[in-house]
Amino acid sequence: MSYYFAILSPLDTPLFEHEFGTSKSGGDGHPRFTDQARHLNQFILHSSLDIVEELQWTQPGLYLKVIDKFFQNYISAFVTASNVKFLLLHQPTTSVPAANGEANTAQAAASSRVNSTSVGANPTSPQTEEAIKNFMGEVYENYVKAVMSPFYKAPNMEIRSPVFRQRVAAAGRKYL
Amino acid sequence: MQPHEDAVQTPSPVQSPPLAASSIMRSLSGSQKPRPGASSILFSPTTDPLSQSELSLPIRTSSTSRRPQSASLFRSTILNNTPPGSPRDASPASTVRSTRSPARTMTGSIFAGTAGFKASLLDTGAADSPGDPLNLVLKSFVPHVAIHASEDVDDLVNAKGFEKGLWELLRPFGERVMGKVNVRDSNGVSRAWEDFSLRFTKFGDHSNLQIPDALAGLNGSEKQSGRAKESLTTDVEKVVERHLSFAEEAFRGTMEPQTPTRMGLDVEATSPYYALYLRRLLSGMPLAPHESFAHPVACVMAISSRNPNPIEALHRLYTETREGEKRYPVWVDGEYLRYYILVHDEENSDISKSMALFEQMKRNFGLHCHLLRLRSSESAETDDDSIPLPRSDWMTAAEELADIEESETKEDFEDPTRHIFESDATAIRTFVREMATQSLIPTMERNISVWNDQVASKRKGISGRFMSLSKRWAFGGSSRSSGIASSSSNYDASGYYRPDSPEAIMRRLADFAFMLRDWKLAMSTYDLLRTDFQNDKAWKYHAAANEMAAFALLIMPQNMSSKTRIETINQMLDNAFYSYLTRCNSLYGATRCIVLALELLRLRGGSGIDEAVRWGIKVLESRLMGKIGDALLKERMAICYASKSGAGSQAWGSRRRKSALWSVLGAEAWVAQEKYIQAQKCLNEARKMYSLLPGENGIQRFEVASDFLAMLNDQVKQGLQVDLLGPEESLVDVEEETFDHDDRRTRRTSMINPLGGATAAGMETAPLQSQGDVSGPIKDGFG
Repeated sequence: MSYYFAILSPLDTPLFEHEFGTSKSGGDGHPRFTDQARHLNQFILHSSLDIVEELQWTQPGLYLKVIDKFFQNYISAFVTASNVKFLLLHQPTTSVPAANGEANTAQAAASSRVNSTSVGANPTSPQTEEAIKNFMGEVYENYVKAVMSPFYKAPNMEIRSPVFRQRVAAAGRKYL
Repeated sequence: MQPHEDAVQTPSPVQSPPLAASSIMRSLSGSQKPRPGASSILFSPTTDPLSQSELSLPIRTSSTSRRPQSASLFRSTILNNTPPGSPRDASPASTVRSTRSPARTMTGSIFAGTAGFKASLLDTGAADSPGDPLNLVLKSFVPHVAIHASEDVDDLVNAKGFEKGLWELLRPFGERVMGKVNVRDSNGVSRAWEDFSLRFTKFGDHSNLQIPDALAGLNGSEKQSGRAKESLTTDVEKVVERHLSFAEEAFRGTMEPQTPTRMGLDVEATSPYYALYLRRLLSGMPLAPHESFAHPVACVMAISSRNPNPIEALHRLYTETREGEKRYPVWVDGEYLRYYILVHDEENSDISKSMALFEQMKRNFGLHCHLLRLRSSESAETDDDSIPLPRSDWMTAAEELADIEESETKEDFEDPTRHIFESDATAIRTFVREMATQSLIPTMERNISVWNDQVASKRKGISGRFMSLSKRWAFGGSSRSSGIASSSSNYDASGYYRPDSPEAIMRRLADFAFMLRDWKLAMSTYDLLRTDFQNDKAWKYHAAANEMAAFALLIMPQNMSSKTRIETINQMLDNAFYSYLTRCNSLYGATRCIVLALELLRLRGGSGIDEAVRWGIKVLESRLMGKIGDALLKERMAICYASKSGAGSQAWGSRRRKSALWSVLGAEAWVAQEKYIQAQKCLNEARKMYSLLPGENGIQRFEVASDFLAMLNDQVKQGLQVDLLGPEESLVDVEEETFDHDDRRTRRTSMINPLGGATAAGMETAPLQSQGDVSGPIKDGFG
């Protein structure tokens, strides 16, 4: 299970990016993206903005749950004040790294079915939704604090604060 | 081919009077035959053709020496820059063409009403543009007419230069029946169709035969059917590959950055290669028991006036259709319409004798007769009243592949275009129209009403439902234990329904209704059949019925809310896909089903577009197609998403980013196959989509992604060996990055308009440069 988290400005620029892996069920917290997947992740996340922009008007909450799926990549979204979006891409395949985004094999499907109890293995399960919601909530609190900084000019400036990065990583360890 | 003569004789296509068919044909042929190396003629028709062709002569001789002849083989894709109507207009059968402007059925998202599903897809205008997938669907599920000619007819036609006999001569004319054709549906409401078409097949040609597995085992021809299953999609793939390589090779020498295959992000235009892929996929419709589209609706039996005992010859032809090794397999209903024609040789025979013979034929065989008057000599290109006969649009992949291979291996390969006299063309057109309107369609209508009354209504009525229930439950135990061959089921142990069983008749009823575009009747019948086939575990039948039910439902107008409707359709497609792929291992069926459904869903707009792409991803995931198909499909998904228009100035609900993503994926796939022209087209589309975004940043703030794009761009640039952007351009990009974003927001409004204008006007001539100029400050990651 690998995650790619990004905060996007209303003008589609990434303000903050962070890749991490799962810490649950014996994961070491390192992402397992291949080099090929790296650029694809960015493309996918960016393209999901289309869906976010449509769904943000229909959903009551800030957390939009899993909004999009691209082959084996699932995208969860969270919208904040001033239209800054949090997007989390998660890849439930642990054993088979999705090369080029389409290495969906029966294997991968089977493996996700096997450990479907663990958080993240089944991206649309209520437990996963809940875990991601908690993660997003915590990141949001930290984001608000980071934005309060007098040196930060909202909403289109990149967040370079190392403290913020640490806290996002901690939230990832805690929930995902 | 003589370019000079063409050029001299040919007036500008625009000037030729619209009614003089021959001059249209000629001017088309003059401007259409692509001369590699002389591509500038093709794509800038206003320049003087003569001087251009002289200029480009050395290039032609040096780079592709043998190509001029074989170029006509690739006409269907290479001419994509002409207006959508013209390539297909070369068909002699098409004399009228309505020019309805393409309308759009949009959109079912929250930003627009759900009006998309209220109308029939046929009213949207997409059906009229050739090459559009909807048009392809309409033109592929058409009545098949077998041609069975006696030897003397074949001799006569051979003398005219058609080696494969009468069938080869008639085939292009079936592609469009002249004039309007009136069809009455099951309620007696008559509707006129302008684009009715027929498919002529050769009687006794069973190359596309698909034998049910059980039978194949019995006959020991297992190998053959297995090969047929697999080769269909691979052949299609190969043909498109040849077309692509031809384009690559033909345009490599031309050092122009504006690639000829460019068509902008016009969502109404279909990529010629994609259209070709679909057409070849559909033209190879197998003669299989589980669907009756490829079964003959009629058989034309032809004799000529040269025949010494004509009536006997006709009797012999008739007997051959009933018995003998050429007849259709047992699962094809033998009671199709017989149509008799007498081919009169205008040059050697006496018309009064032929008339007498024709009268005798009418007395013997009834009204389904026609006297076809043809000249027996071969028409040369230089004759005054000769028109070129185009190659059939609906030749199968295997045929086209054979042609292409022949052109590559043979030294003295001739241009396969044949010419016929205009009088012959008129005679054949009249014949086709008369047969269609006076014999074929009335027969089909009568069959539909008879079958509907006698078979389907019983099944639809209360007692029919009860029957099917009792069949299911009372004998359920026995049928489960004894498997398929239970006594209560009509499903034969060898894997088919006999043609006189109610299921087979209903399937034929539904297929006829579909061919005559009575969607409602077709849909309701397929719907009944779905459950019947499922109960009998006739999985291939089940898959095909589900497939066609989904198509009919997608095309017909209905008042269901788009959501329930999409759910219903999804379920049908799921069933069809699963049955085809997993239960029957039929790659062809699965591919056809999903690809066509994808197109129809796309035309439905709104949430249909998201569904379409979901199905597309499913096809990619299950690796149904080869490399070419995958790349074409990715390209197509970009167009799918691009055709979803948003609401308001911000275009909420549109899918521009998604579209761009698929374009990039398409470009990646094309680069991997070294098809740089296509790759560049995709990249241009991606770049254009990104530049249309409200944020104006496109993807370029994502570092890895924009690096990747730049790399792709470099590869394409190297592949095409042209400089796409000057060095200054990238400098400007870097400078612009330091600008504040708030500035950008205000500037955006002024940026949008020139961009839109450029796509309409400037793009065609110099896509890259002009876009680079206009969208200078816009970042899209290509810098």
